[in-house]
Amino acid sequence: MTTYLLQRLMSAALTVWITTLAICFLIHLVPGDPVQIMYAQSATTSPEQLEQIRHSLGLDRSIIHQYIIYMGKLLQGDMGVTIRGQQSVAELLLLRLPNTLLLTLSALTLAIVFGGVSGFIAAYKQGQWPDKVLMTGTVVGISVPPFWLGLIVLSLFSVELGWFPVAGQGLGSLVLPAVTLAACQAAVIGRIVRSTMIDVFAQDYLLTARAKGLSKPKVLLRHALRSGLIPIVSVLGMQFAYMMGGAIVIEYVFSWNGVGRLAIQAIFQRDYPLIQGFVLCFSMIVVLVSVAMDLLYAFLDPRIRQE
Amino acid sequence: MTKSLSLLIAIGLLTGPAMASNDIIWARYGDIDSLDPHRTTSTLSMQVWNQIYEPLLARDAEGNIGPNLAKDYRVSDDGTQVTFVLHEGIECHDGSEFTAEDVIYTYQRAFSETNPSNTQSAWGPIESVNAVDAQTVSFSFSEPFGAFIPFMADPFASMICKSNEQSLASFGSTTAIGTGAWQLVQWIKGDRIELARNEAYVNHGRMAGNAGPAKMDKLIIKVMPEAQARLAALQTGEVHIAEPPLESVSVVENHPHLNLLSAPNTGQNVFIEFAVSRPPFNDVRARQAVAYAIDPDMALDIVFEGLVEREHCTVARGVMGNDQDYCKRIGYQYDPAKAKQLLAELGYDKRNPMDVKIMTWTDGSRDKLLQVFQSQLKQVGIEVSIEIMDIGSLNARVKQENHITEGKGSMDLMGWSWYDPDILYQLWHSPGAYDGYNSPELDALLKQTRLETNPEKRLEIVQQVQAYLIEQAVHVPIYTPGWVWLYGVNDSVSGLKFEPFNQPIFTDVVVN
Repeated sequence: MTTYLLQRLMSAALTVWITTLAICFLIHLVPGDPVQIMYAQSATTSPEQLEQIRHSLGLDRSIIHQYIIYMGKLLQGDMGVTIRGQQSVAELLLLRLPNTLLLTLSALTLAIVFGGVSGFIAAYKQGQWPDKVLMTGTVVGISVPPFWLGLIVLSLFSVELGWFPVAGQGLGSLVLPAVTLAACQAAVIGRIVRSTMIDVFAQDYLLTARAKGLSKPKVLLRHALRSGLIPIVSVLGMQFAYMMGGAIVIEYVFSWNGVGRLAIQAIFQRDYPLIQGFVLCFSMIVVLVSVAMDLLYAFLDPRIRQE
Repeated sequence: MTKSLSLLIAIGLLTGPAMASNDIIWARYGDIDSLDPHRTTSTLSMQVWNQIYEPLLARDAEGNIGPNLAKDYRVSDDGTQVTFVLHEGIECHDGSEFTAEDVIYTYQRAFSETNPSNTQSAWGPIESVNAVDAQTVSFSFSEPFGAFIPFMADPFASMICKSNEQSLASFGSTTAIGTGAWQLVQWIKGDRIELARNEAYVNHGRMAGNAGPAKMDKLIIKVMPEAQARLAALQTGEVHIAEPPLESVSVVENHPHLNLLSAPNTGQNVFIEFAVSRPPFNDVRARQAVAYAIDPDMALDIVFEGLVEREHCTVARGVMGNDQDYCKRIGYQYDPAKAKQLLAELGYDKRNPMDVKIMTWTDGSRDKLLQVFQSQLKQVGIEVSIEIMDIGSLNARVKQENHITEGKGSMDLMGWSWYDPDILYQLWHSPGAYDGYNSPELDALLKQTRLETNPEKRLEIVQQVQAYLIEQAVHVPIYTPGWVWLYGVNDSVSGLKFEPFNQPIFTDVVVN
C-alpha cells in the first residue's frame, strides 16, 4: 500500500511539474512579442515601460532562468497579475474557485446518484423494458452536447415553467447548471454500474447470502450494490476531470460566476497571466482529485492494496 | 443522498427567480474594462461610467449641445480661450463640492506625463487650464480647436472629482467618485456592477425629465455572456433590460411582455482597415482589391436581415460630412473582376493566392459577417483566416499589427462611435489611434479640419478627407449601427431614454 501510495504521489507530482513547464513556455508560443500583445491596448505604454514589464516578467532572460523565476514565485503563491486591471491572479482564481467547486461537486453527486440508481435498476431488470428505456436514456445523455442541453433546459425550466432562475449565484440558480453538467456523466456512470452489476448478480456469493436467509433487498443493497459501486470510484477521477472541463461551458451558458467563465473571458481578452493561472489551477485540482480517488479505490478494494 | 437532493430541489423551487423590487436589472454580454474614463474606450465601460460621472456640457435628443455641470460657456473671438461657469452646489459622491479644481484635476489626469488618457488627443492643443474662481474655469489653446465644445459634452470628457486622489490605487476598480445620478456600490468583476441612487443628484442638463435623484434605488448591471440565456432571463422577467441576440430579435418583438427599443443616433460606424506596415496591404491595389471583392449589401442582408444599414461614409450618421450619395459615388461597388485584375497586377493568382487574416471583436454577429466576406474574398483568390477577440484586445492587436513589418497581411473590422468629423483626425492623423496609415498630404488635410471654424468651409475639407481615405482604401465603411444598440425591455419598465451615441439614461426609469 505504501509503495502504491508513493507511486501515485510521485506520478501526480510529475504531472504537475510538467504542467508548470508547459505553462511557463506557453507564453513563448504566442506569435510576436508577448509583452507588446499584452500591453499594446494601453495606448500610453511607452517603450521604456514595456521594457520594464518585460524585465518584471523575466522575459528578457534565458528560458531556464525564466522558469526558475516562475517556479520561485509560484512556490510563494504568486501567479502574477492580470493584464486587465492588474489584479492578483491567485486571488482572482481563489475568489471564483468555490463557485466552480460547488457546481462540479453538486453535479458529481447528482451524476453518482442518478447514474448509480439507473445502472442498478437496468442491471436488475436486464433485457426488460426498464433496462431498455434507461440505456436509451444514457445514449442520449452521452450524445447530447452540454451547451445545447443547457439552452434547452433553460428554455424549458426557466422560461416555460418558471421553476428556476436563468442566472445568479443562489442555491436555486445552482440546480439547472448542476443537472446539465451531471447529465452526461450520469449516463457514463449508469452504463458502468449496469455492466458491473450484471457481473455481480451472477456471482455465487449472492446465492449463498440468500441461502443463509437474508432477505432479497438486504442481499441487493448490502452485498451486490456495495461491490458493484467500487468500479464507479475508479472512474470518478476521470469523470471529475471531464466535469471541470464541462463546467467552463456550463458556467458560460448559465452566467455562473466561476473560474471557467473567468477563463473564457481571459481567453477573449488575451490575458496570458490569467490563462496560465487558470490552466495550472485546473490541472492541479484534477491531479489531486484523481490521486484521492485512486487512494479511495485502493482503500475500498483489497486487491489493489496487495498489488 | 436522495433526501438532500430533494431538499436541494425544494430550496431551488422556493428561491426561484428573485429580485429586489426597487432595482433596475440590466444584462449585457460583457464586462467593463475600467471605471476610469481615461483608461478605456469600450462602449460597455462608457455606458456605465456615464451613469457615475458627468461632462461639463450635455446633448439633447437631436445632439444639440447645452449646459450641464457648466451653466454657461464662452469662446473668445480668436477661438483660443474657452471659459466655463459651473453651477453652484453640485456635490461629488463623497459629499465634497464640485468646483473648478475638479475640472483642472480631470484635465491634469488626462494629460498626465506618465499615464495620459487614451483619448488625450480629443482634448485638442490645450496650453493651460486655470481656475478664475471656484466656479469659473478657463481653457487656453495654442490654436483654435473647433471640436472642443462637442467633446466637452461627451462621456470621454467626464469630470472626475479631485477626492479620487485619496484612493488613487483603487480608482476605476473599487472606487469611482463623480457627480452623476448613480454612485458605485461594488463591481464584482466578470459578474456585475451595482450602482446606488445618488440622493444629492440634481439634473442640470442630462436628457432625463426628472430634475432630482433617480426614481429607483439601485441599478444592477449584470454580465450574461450567452445571448440565449440573456433572452431567457428577459423573458422570465429576471432582468428588465437586455440586448437580445440579433437572430432572435423577433422573439422580443412578438413577446407579449417585451418591447424592443433601438437607441437612436448611435454615431456608430463599422469599417475595414488594413495593416499598411507590410505587404500586401502597404500597396493600395491590395486594399482596393478587398474593397471590390466584398459585397457588403448582400452580406449584411444575409447576416442582419435588415437590422443594420449599409454605411458609405467614414463619419457616422448625424455627423458633419455624412452624405450617403456623395460617399457612395466615391466608394467601391462590388466588382470581383476588378478585384481579380488588381490581384493579378500584384502577382497573385489561383495557385498563389493572397493569404491574409481579418480580425474583429466578439458578439453582434460580426463573426458571421466575416464568414460571408471570407467566402466572397475566396472567390477572387484571397484566402482569409478569421480571428475573434474582445474589443480591448482588438484595439491592442490592430496597433501591434501596424508595427509588424513581416508575415501574413492583416486587416480588421473595427467600430468607432464619435460625435464629430474629428474622429478622422484621431484615427488617421499621424501617428493615429492605431499607428496605422498616414501620409503628409492626409495630415495636412486633417489639420485643416481642426483649424477651420467656418462650418461650410470645414465641411468641404472633411469631404476631401473622406475622398482621400476612400480612394486610398484606408477606411472602407461597411455598416451602421454596429454594437449593443438594441434593447429588449420588459413592459414593467418605463422611462428608459437614450442620449445620443447609445448612452442609456436610467434616472427616469420606473419598474412596476
